[in-house]
Amino acid sequence: MVRFENVGMRYGAGPEVLRDVTFVLESGSFTFLTGLSGAGKTTLLKLIYLGEPPSRGLITLFGHDMATAKRSEFPAIRRRIGVVFQDFRLLPHLSAFDNVALPLKLAGRHEGDYEHDVEELLSWVGLGDRMHARPATLSGGEQQRIAIARAVVARPDLLIADEPTGNVDAEIGGRLIRLFGELNRLGTTVLIATHDRALIESGRAREMRLVDGRLVELRGVGRT
Amino acid sequence: MTRPSGRLVPREKGAAPLDLVIAVMAFLAALALGASLLAARTSEGWRAGLTDRLTVQILVPAHGDAPTIMARESDAVIAVLNRTQGIGHAAPLSDTEMQALVEPWLGKGSLVAELPLPRLIDASIVPGAAIDIDALAAQIKAVAPDAQLDDHSRWIARLATLADTILWSALGVLILIAIATAATVAFATRAGLEAQHDMVALLHQMGAHALFIARAFERHYALATLGASLAGASLAAILFALAGGLEFAGVEPVPFLPPIALKLSELAWLAAVPMAATVIAWLTARLSVLAVVREIY
Repeated sequence: MVRFENVGMRYGAGPEVLRDVTFVLESGSFTFLTGLSGAGKTTLLKLIYLGEPPSRGLITLFGHDMATAKRSEFPAIRRRIGVVFQDFRLLPHLSAFDNVALPLKLAGRHEGDYEHDVEELLSWVGLGDRMHARPATLSGGEQQRIAIARAVVARPDLLIADEPTGNVDAEIGGRLIRLFGELNRLGTTVLIATHDRALIESGRAREMRLVDGRLVELRGVGRT
Repeated sequence: MTRPSGRLVPREKGAAPLDLVIAVMAFLAALALGASLLAARTSEGWRAGLTDRLTVQILVPAHGDAPTIMARESDAVIAVLNRTQGIGHAAPLSDTEMQALVEPWLGKGSLVAELPLPRLIDASIVPGAAIDIDALAAQIKAVAPDAQLDDHSRWIARLATLADTILWSALGVLILIAIATAATVAFATRAGLEAQHDMVALLHQMGAHALFIARAFERHYALATLGASLAGASLAAILFALAGGLEFAGVEPVPFLPPIALKLSELAWLAAVPMAATVIAWLTARLSVLAVVREIY
């Protein structure tokens, strides 16, 4: 599903924020990515969701060598990845419903086909009564749940989440993790970057830790 | 469950003043286009009105019985003109017509009646006929020593120069305003897109094809520009139509100045302004979005 071989990353002429990162995410796996702030977690996620090209090394996604893949192939690859951004990146002029439905719209589906699915998902994340609200009128936690719903609504092959429970209380956090687990059981490969030790300890998922830009494996392959 | 569906591209803050600028530029462009059409029509009218006519002027003789001499020479000139091949019709201007000609300068009244005015003979030329003007002038001079033949060539040349100057000036102004309008539309579109850079990046990140993103934006900006430019061009069209209404109502135009009213067929040309502005906005939006997407990994 995802293969990194000796990947390095630096921004401009700055120091390398990722060094010789090598790992494989098997299809259907559930992995936590941990590390101190500034360790390079967000940069690693960016490389996976094709937000930036690596400075060196090889990245393979869904069998495509990204160094040789054509740019015209990128949109289809990106649509197979659901991303929960740390800063949510919701579109402020769209309602919660339209934000969540965006990946389905981009996939060319008609509103009549997905209306029920989106409403059900918004209800699942506890926002069934706020689906017409604009992001600016929602709390940080509510915005985060919309971002999560948007990332999972199209049932992506790979889900990447950057601190997805950072702004929600323990109850909602547990619910969201159950949502990720459910998605994982349906076949989605999940990679979650988090500081939340309780979350990490709650399952037997694999844990990869970044220390000064280098990857350390703390716990082996497993499933929630 | 009915639910309002949001537009993918929002109406950004500050759009109203830009819409207003586009509307004003479209208004000016439509005025310039209308003025060019008027200049072209007037220029053509001047040429056509003079090239198919001849005028013979019989000056007041210095000695003798002027009215008798002028009447005799007038008859002789008309006889020559009627014999000449290519002359369709020749007739002297009546006193009333003569007074109407000088009225704009001298006004009405007894002063005009007392003035020794020359006699004018107006002759029309059969379209396409070739007349030897010098030979005709010699024939006329032979029968009427006080007559002068005027084929308007001097006037035609000067009027043609004037008409060309007016036409090219109007076209120059039109081109300048068209460039300014195009630049304004392109600037407004690019400024709007700058504000939407994050959204373009997000859609790109989510796997939207560059053309999908471009279509969302080009439709938005093309429609906004169409609305604004249509308002500006419509206002100009209304002004031209009102000018036509004034002429229709009998308000006399200023002598020798071109008309200010557009014909219906000419008014239709003003639609070119919003159409061109819309195409510019559409193209600018598409190229700008594609350029932004190309810059993103």
